[in-house]
Amino acid sequence: MEARIEKEHVGKKPDHVLRVYADITELVAGPENPTPLVRLNRITESRDFQIYLKLERYNPFGSVKDRIAYQMLKELEVGERTVVEPSSGNTGIALVCLANAWGLAVEVAVPQRIPEEKKVMLRFLGAKKVWEADDSLCPRFPSEGARGLVDALVRSPATRDKYVSPNQYENELNVQAHYCTTGPEIWRQTHGEISYFFAGLGTCGTIVGAGRYLKEQNPEIKVIGVEPAASEHRLPGMKRLKGLAPEYIPKILDSSVIDDTVEVSDEEAYQTAVELARREGIPAGPTTGAILHAALNYARSHQGLAVVISPDDAFKYTSFYRDYLEGKAEESRFEDRK
Amino acid sequence: MSASYECDVSDLICPLSKLRATEAINNLAAGDTVRIILGDMESVKSVVQELKGRGMKPDFKQEGESRFILTVTRE
Repeated sequence: MEARIEKEHVGKKPDHVLRVYADITELVAGPENPTPLVRLNRITESRDFQIYLKLERYNPFGSVKDRIAYQMLKELEVGERTVVEPSSGNTGIALVCLANAWGLAVEVAVPQRIPEEKKVMLRFLGAKKVWEADDSLCPRFPSEGARGLVDALVRSPATRDKYVSPNQYENELNVQAHYCTTGPEIWRQTHGEISYFFAGLGTCGTIVGAGRYLKEQNPEIKVIGVEPAASEHRLPGMKRLKGLAPEYIPKILDSSVIDDTVEVSDEEAYQTAVELARREGIPAGPTTGAILHAALNYARSHQGLAVVISPDDAFKYTSFYRDYLEGKAEESRFEDRK
Repeated sequence: MSASYECDVSDLICPLSKLRATEAINNLAAGDTVRIILGDMESVKSVVQELKGRGMKPDFKQEGESRFILTVTRE
């Protein structure tokens, strides 16, 4: 006899009330199943500038990248080839999880400097291969060895028939995923009252896709991009676009969507992430700290309702946070001695 | 006794060619020689740069338009 759970939930539209799903991929966020929007109450004292965090860690594979990985992989003609993608971890993790659910093979090229936790996750999930690329590996992609490596795999005569890449830097589905899901979610969740949207600059899919949707609903909404203050940084997934030659700027970037760009240092980002955890009880990754830092600065001189993208959680960065906190402890010991 | 190897990566573009060439260089014992065959100038520049960083000076030869040979011996 067929179980009632099978009859009522398999092959049907996902039930986001009872939360019974036919497979894990149905949990990827969308307007019917949005990631949470959580108000910040103690980290900011401003009553005129309310900040809400969009917690993308509540996607099934743990980050904002689940949305784009789902869209890109669903539309990719893989055939017998292996999927390969450069990633600072989150896109790779999402792609491997989706590929496992759909019976595909994925290789991921990661920069050496990403946290060990993410590399372990990729191996744990069974990525067919995890390439580690030094940032200076490829002269064609200065400071982005992983991107160069994947480009070589999909273009070399010896390997090009074996690999296919979603290529999040150039794939318009990266933008579309956010235009069709993140943007509408935020618009509905704020009842159209959002006035500022903050997101990090990396591949630029989130800021362009969600930002474009929000501006189409209300052209007065200001879209603020956040980038690392230095090209060498510890904010995986973020990219400093300032000073980059045009050929290295992500092709999907539409600058007309962005009203302002704010630079944030590692110190500011990590300190804000620590404060977010300790004052609000929200354990988020360092890029959340960076984006939130920019919003908190805006809070000093602006009024309105702000939504800040929180790309992922703190747990994939414990080694980075350990280094930061140990550094702080050292400083404090030094201060004590003075 | 020293040995001589060939590493044909002419069908790989940079940085894949550089990665494979580097593996071949790493596997050399003292006195061993490797002929690295590359298919484009970008790969040549990249591998030469890697060799220079290790204090190794390769012999360079071009055969036709897209066949470049670097020969290097590990001291």
